[in-house]
Amino acid sequence: MIRLILLALLALAGAPLQAAPTDLLLVAPDDATLAPVLKKLADARSESRAAWTYWFGQLHGKSVVLTRTEGDPLNAVAATTLAVRRHQPKLIVVFGTARAHDPALRAHDVVVSEKFVAFDGLVSPPTRLGGGSDSLTWKKLPHLLMTAGEREAAAPFFPASATALAVARTLSPERGRVIIGALGSANQVNREADRIAWLHAQWGTSCEDGESAHVAGVGKLLDTPVIGFRVIDGAPEEAAKFALKFVEAWK
Amino acid sequence: MKHRLIFFFAVVFGVFARATEPTDILVQGAEKLEIAEILTALGPKPERIEIGPFSFWRGKIGAQRVVVSLTGQSLINCTVATVIGIEEFSPRLIVNQGTSGAQVPYLALHDVIIGARALDYGNFASPPRGAGEGTRPLLWTPVPQRLRSPVSGELVAHPDGFRGDAEAIAVALRTRNGMGRVFTGTLGSAHEINLELDRVRWSAKTFGMEVEEMESGHVAAIAHAYGVRYVAFRVVSDAPYEGVPFFPLAARATALFTVNFLHNFPALPAPAKP
Repeated sequence: MIRLILLALLALAGAPLQAAPTDLLLVAPDDATLAPVLKKLADARSESRAAWTYWFGQLHGKSVVLTRTEGDPLNAVAATTLAVRRHQPKLIVVFGTARAHDPALRAHDVVVSEKFVAFDGLVSPPTRLGGGSDSLTWKKLPHLLMTAGEREAAAPFFPASATALAVARTLSPERGRVIIGALGSANQVNREADRIAWLHAQWGTSCEDGESAHVAGVGKLLDTPVIGFRVIDGAPEEAAKFALKFVEAWK
Repeated sequence: MKHRLIFFFAVVFGVFARATEPTDILVQGAEKLEIAEILTALGPKPERIEIGPFSFWRGKIGAQRVVVSLTGQSLINCTVATVIGIEEFSPRLIVNQGTSGAQVPYLALHDVIIGARALDYGNFASPPRGAGEGTRPLLWTPVPQRLRSPVSGELVAHPDGFRGDAEAIAVALRTRNGMGRVFTGTLGSAHEINLELDRVRWSAKTFGMEVEEMESGHVAAIAHAYGVRYVAFRVVSDAPYEGVPFFPLAARATALFTVNFLHNFPALPAPAKP
């Protein structure tokens, strides 16, 4: 009887209730990156909420939730927040492709996150009309993250899970090398060589993508560890294959 | 087992209480100064609810059952706080308010801009330039925010951003700003402080922006995704054309304006039963 009452209350309370904890939340930018993972998913089901979709199932004996970020910070932060609140993953794995900032990187190298950097913050110097705009003179504006007690703390980078990093660095990509580095993200496609060099020097980024550091920011806010993988100038399938290898190896 | 049962009861009844006490309006501010006057208007001891690192306060202002949310600044904080605010309190209107930098020369300290629309102006793709060729921010191509339509399943670009709620804008236009003037306009959000006047002018021309700040366009996108009504107000706290540096206490003007708005806004009709 008590169970019935509780179940009725749960149904009434509705959406805010959290489901059972999940082993891994897998976060990818698009369908091309998700597809090879979804193919391997056992007992698969999906659901949508607002603009975001979630796929559930088992991979290598682990319970997983997958979601799609659309490759930008806003969708990534929203989709990740909902998933963390509702499914309490033990680890967030964000993966995909990226463009190099570090000139030592080669196509098909996999950059594994030692840390994450959201490099979209800037302060430009006061300049009169006609004085132009020069991004190489801008200053960094790191994100602040809210902490308990209503205080914001400066976060020039977001941490990656050390235990997950230890697992990932043992894996072998099909092409390229595993490189430990800083995954940078912003909703930017930077193709100016001088600005790319400036971003690398100022922010310490290894590469850029649309969302990985912003996902890590959510992990930091909601106290959930994060690991990220990015294949430099690679195909989405390469990123998915590396993520699958990680899921298999992760305990 | 006994402890687990007690924990289960606590979770169930805690969430049940949150979800069943209706909220009319979720009022957001990024900084404490931006919500101080609104918390005062809630009365001497508003109920404080902590969810993760975020604080919410519940009470009444005029006819409205209000939850005030301290979001923290910029995209990551405000997006997480908005998703939590919508999921936990099911508001029927979101009011996002705070400070901003003027992007047009006619605006002065303490003027309030009502967001006819709000957008993310910080996204771009730059054309290729070789080493030693420098950087040309005024040639970068903006990338509009996209959201997936739950109806078609397609990604939809929103180059003009997201419109504010028409009824809320109409009421706001009849609301007093005791410290400056009131205009409607376009609010632009990014994690940026732009003080190069050529780029300020480029943003105003390219996006139609009156002011730049760090949250309203992101909150507007989340409200749109959930189908929740939305409006934003921004007070001018710095004006680069006039050389006016950031004046944090300007936050008081937009908070007092918001309190006046909440008193003026008519009681929202009960939601339709499914």
